[in-house]
Amino acid sequence: MSNTPEHLVKSYSVELNKLHAMIAEMGGIVETQVAFAADAINFRDADAAGRAIDEDRRVDALEAEIEAFVVRLLALRQPMAGDLREIISSLKMTGDLERIGDYAANVAKRSIVLNQFILPFSLSGIAHMARLVQENLKMIIDAVGERDAEQAMEVWKSDQIVDDLYNTVFRELITYMMEDPRNITPCTHLLFIAKNLERIGDHATNIAETVYYAVTGEVMPDERPKGDSSAYAVVRPQA
Amino acid sequence: MATMTSSSDARRSSVATSMAGIKTHVATGLNPARISIRNLDFFYGDNRALKAIDLDLPERQVTGMIGPSGCGKSTLLRVLNRMYDLYPNQRATGKVTMDGENIIDPDLDLNSLRSRIGMVFQKPTPFPMSIYDNIAFGIKLHEKLSKSEMDERVEWSLTRSALWGEVKDRLSTSAQGLSGGQQQRLCIARTIAVRPEVILLDEPTSALDPISTLKVEELIDELKSDFTIAIVTHNMQQAARCADQVAFFYLGEMVEVASAAQLFTSPKQKRTQEYITGRFG
Amino acid sequence: MSATLSSHSTLPGAIKNLNVAKALGRRRSRASTVVKALCVLATLIGLALLASILLTLIVRGFGGIGLGVFTEVTKPPGSNGGLLNAIVGSLIQTVIGVAIGTPVGLLVGTYLAEYARGSTLGNAVRFVSDVLLSAPSILIGLFIYQLVVAPFGGFSGIAGCIALAVIVIPIVVRTTEDMLSLIPVAMREAAMALGAPKWKMIVQVCYRAAKDGIVTGVLLAVARVAGETAPLLFTSLGNLNWSLSLTKPMASLPVTIYQYAGSAFDDWVQLAWVGALLITFGVLAINILARVVLRGGK
Repeated sequence: MSNTPEHLVKSYSVELNKLHAMIAEMGGIVETQVAFAADAINFRDADAAGRAIDEDRRVDALEAEIEAFVVRLLALRQPMAGDLREIISSLKMTGDLERIGDYAANVAKRSIVLNQFILPFSLSGIAHMARLVQENLKMIIDAVGERDAEQAMEVWKSDQIVDDLYNTVFRELITYMMEDPRNITPCTHLLFIAKNLERIGDHATNIAETVYYAVTGEVMPDERPKGDSSAYAVVRPQA
Repeated sequence: MATMTSSSDARRSSVATSMAGIKTHVATGLNPARISIRNLDFFYGDNRALKAIDLDLPERQVTGMIGPSGCGKSTLLRVLNRMYDLYPNQRATGKVTMDGENIIDPDLDLNSLRSRIGMVFQKPTPFPMSIYDNIAFGIKLHEKLSKSEMDERVEWSLTRSALWGEVKDRLSTSAQGLSGGQQQRLCIARTIAVRPEVILLDEPTSALDPISTLKVEELIDELKSDFTIAIVTHNMQQAARCADQVAFFYLGEMVEVASAAQLFTSPKQKRTQEYITGRFG
Repeated sequence: MSATLSSHSTLPGAIKNLNVAKALGRRRSRASTVVKALCVLATLIGLALLASILLTLIVRGFGGIGLGVFTEVTKPPGSNGGLLNAIVGSLIQTVIGVAIGTPVGLLVGTYLAEYARGSTLGNAVRFVSDVLLSAPSILIGLFIYQLVVAPFGGFSGIAGCIALAVIVIPIVVRTTEDMLSLIPVAMREAAMALGAPKWKMIVQVCYRAAKDGIVTGVLLAVARVAGETAPLLFTSLGNLNWSLSLTKPMASLPVTIYQYAGSAFDDWVQLAWVGALLITFGVLAINILARVVLRGGK
């Protein structure tokens, strides 16, 4: 798609490029937001947490702007085929990015609460999750920018690891809570943080599916086994 | 330690699935062919205007034909009812089959072919006679009807083309006093009055205002329950709105044919994509 | 103002000088005034000539109009003759001439427009018809004299009718062809697309659509032949007596005018003016009728 000639109506091309740039900008902001949120947990960095939370306003504003722009394009340009897919996909992606931003802000808020606790265990599982999610997010935002269906497919596949990791963290945190009730407050926050990171990963895969459709016009070929099985998890104290 | 039960749930990106959902729904909905075009070539003198066309017109559905001017889409339509026979130096080769008969066979009785395959043109062409006589003209060519049967047929065709209510009190007035949109619907009524099996529409709304255009499009939608329809249009939105199947022509070749939803969301050919998104040339 | 506007534009060349534009505009409007004045002058000259003809006719002819003109046949000078035989003769010959010429012209015009477009024969027929259209009418008179009058032993009304028919044919051919050619291709195709054979398409659709134009053409042909003198001199000759027989010489207004106008008798000259007045207003009436028919159809 990136090698198609310019639209015969220049102003239409300009608008399509602008939409693409807006999505890229939003992706960039959300990426830094998630990075700040990860730093907030990993390094107990309240300053980073504050910046992650602050960025959310920009993300929301940008989402509203992109939505309005997409509606305008649909009404005025009556896009077809590749243009239609790209514009509709932008609408979809801006929603996913906005959710990712919300989750990042939520993670940052919880990290501030966590700073009041001394944790008797390591956060290596969550740190690992955060790193993987950040990598996936970066990859998918690059794929959006490059309109790269192959890379989108990579991201889509690799979300499985995030899900597996989440299940592990989930069990780990429950175990800590069972060991010492004083852990319940920080662990509950950590559970939500892990869940939020997992959701960020899910939205990244949503974006991957959207990019794949926008570029190829086809739905991703096969069903990916769904990894988050914590909804069905039962953890019992061992006798 | 902990034990764990798990199951899997499928969760997919909703836009991609819903857009694709429309696509598959229509893609499976094409009827068997009423007219089959195979390896059709057409020549204006030495100029090969159609190149090895293969296309099926599904029965009681609408086939849209799009493409830039001079791409051969109108030519194809004019092959189907042998309009080209009116002019010297035009000829077609290949096979166009309807009910086992080759439409382009030179020995075919053209008048009866044209009573089976009707055509409506770009500009409304009411004959210089009354509304009633416009409808009766075609019927009289092929059938002997009594006055009451004729009245009934005229009413039927005008009703079917959503014009009866507007003209029933002025059937004996000149058809040329109707508005452009009404004239075009009269031309459609005149065509269906002969009770053809196939209706060819050659840019039927390009001379009409948007509301008249929508009325004609609604009419096309109504008519496809009884007739197999082929429509040539320059308006891609119109093809998208009206057609079950859309064929894209370029330089005398049929580049791609697919269900309308498929062609307008995810065309397979690069040239189709470039044309329908306005990146041609 | 203009400078700021053009600084944003991508138009080539220097900034437009409004003073030059104004000067050019003044020159153009002066030229326009001169041309317009010439056109008006030429029109006035034409109208003045026409008005003087009509005025002369009315002044000279109107006094002579009386009931006798329409009830009495032509008589020797000084015996209160009228123009009855000439009027009736003119009517008969015009009607029969047009009645013969119109169907022939119609069919030839149809052939040219519908069947022979672009063919060699068609082009030849069209050329001959156009030559005939502009041929001096006295030649047509001589031609019919050779063809009908000489072999069948004498001048006759029917020979006059045929001569007039020969004049009518090319006029009707031309108007029929022109009018049929004006019918949009789409309308023909629409008729054919309903499964109509070609002749039905022509008769039921094309003729109807071209009706007003063809009728106008026929009326103009009537106007043209009603005033013809030359072809009748060699064919129906003229007849000073009352005769409705087509095989005998027949009177007509133009020929009577021709004979009377040059005579030495005042009452004959007076009748010639009356005849001229009658023909002129008859032709005028037909022309107006043609216009009304044409406009009524729109």
